[in-house]
Amino acid sequence: MGVMRIGHINIRVLDMDAALAHYEGVLGLTRTAKDDAGNVYLKGWDEWDKYSLILTQSDKAGMINIAYKVENDADLDALGKRIRDYGITVDDLPEGAVPFCGRAIRFNLPSGHEMVLYAQKEMLGKAVGVTNPEPWPDGLKGAGVHWLDHALLMCELDPEKGINKVAENTTFMRECLDFYLSEQVLVGPDGDIQAATWMFRTSTPHDIAFVGGPVMGLHHLAFYLDDWSAVLKAADVMAKRQVKVDVTPQRHGITRGSTIYFFDPSGNRNETFAGLGYLAQPDMPPITWTEENLWRGIFYHTGEEAGKFTTVYT
Amino acid sequence: MSERAHTVTITDTDESFRCGEGTVVLKAMVTLGYRGVTSGCHGGGCGVCKVRVDEGSYDAAVMSRAHVSEAEERDRVVLACRIKPRSDLRLSVVGGIGKVIARQQKKFGLV
Ligand code: FES
Ligand SMILES: [Fe+2]
Repeated sequence: MGVMRIGHINIRVLDMDAALAHYEGVLGLTRTAKDDAGNVYLKGWDEWDKYSLILTQSDKAGMINIAYKVENDADLDALGKRIRDYGITVDDLPEGAVPFCGRAIRFNLPSGHEMVLYAQKEMLGKAVGVTNPEPWPDGLKGAGVHWLDHALLMCELDPEKGINKVAENTTFMRECLDFYLSEQVLVGPDGDIQAATWMFRTSTPHDIAFVGGPVMGLHHLAFYLDDWSAVLKAADVMAKRQVKVDVTPQRHGITRGSTIYFFDPSGNRNETFAGLGYLAQPDMPPITWTEENLWRGIFYHTGEEAGKFTTVYT
Repeated sequence: MSERAHTVTITDTDESFRCGEGTVVLKAMVTLGYRGVTSGCHGGGCGVCKVRVDEGSYDAAVMSRAHVSEAEERDRVVLACRIKPRSDLRLSVVGGIGKVIARQQKKFGLV
């Protein structure tokens, strides 16, 4: 019971046509719906629920909210109570308020990011079906990503003012939503400031991550690919289509994933991420990266900041 | 066939480079190896490439209102990743939040 996995993310885009050309043509997602307000819904070929990405036309970039799917309808009541008892306001949303979903609850993380939990979403099925399926469907575009894998949220961190929303979010996710800590970065003179965390509910190293920064925002949303050769091909797709690449293919020390960071046409950072890293389990001892090694954690080969990891996000 | 190009000058660093009419200023800058304006998302979303166009005319694409207000845009304050030159341009760096961050001495590795 409880949270199963990331369900969807709703992001703002400055130009819907350019965004669709990117998420369909470069990532290889499929458009599944458009609502009266003009929001467009997309899914990966290996996902069964109706959508994992909502694009909303706006005059700025960034994330509107992030949603996780719980296993049972009753989890919404149990988790809602825990969140309220923790001191956070929870809105109860009727069926359909989250499009194509059953009832839901909505609240803000200590960092201010809006989170939604729901138990039911309209189901379309995987592109390969469920009866004697082929390993992948014909006609995939671009990188042909499998599914929305995780997101990284930037959270306000100013140790001198005693502000650490990374630590607050991490405690909240553990105590209210039963997320487990897989990895963390500890910094500061005493090595006790939690500057970044990776947390999971599935058996992969992270379903969400929090990194400290000067202001809250969306760092990236990540889509899953099979392996390193799929990552290389995805980078070729991006070069061919002149996508703004932030960091070319390489390995994360943290989570062990292989990665590319790049931007959508509105400046929202995307990641294509391959490899399940390792088996994450509730009793796995969390991994700690120290301040002098944190960049090896993030970009393992160079051990240095690459691209605009800490300074550019929406 | 080469497109019509103009000279873009960044006052702060005294860098000059050529930029075609069909090319975004920030893209031309980084492609030619200049660094006078902070380069980020190249999508008009992150705000780090904020500049004032002190001289010259340009076409601007849609840019984030979180970083450039309508009044600023009327005042020729724009994101360098969203403009294409129609004449020679002279820019000065305004810098959004990213510039502030980039200039801060990092104390804890990340922030
Ligand atoms: S580089 Fe991000 S807005 Fe221009
Ligand atoms: Fe990631």
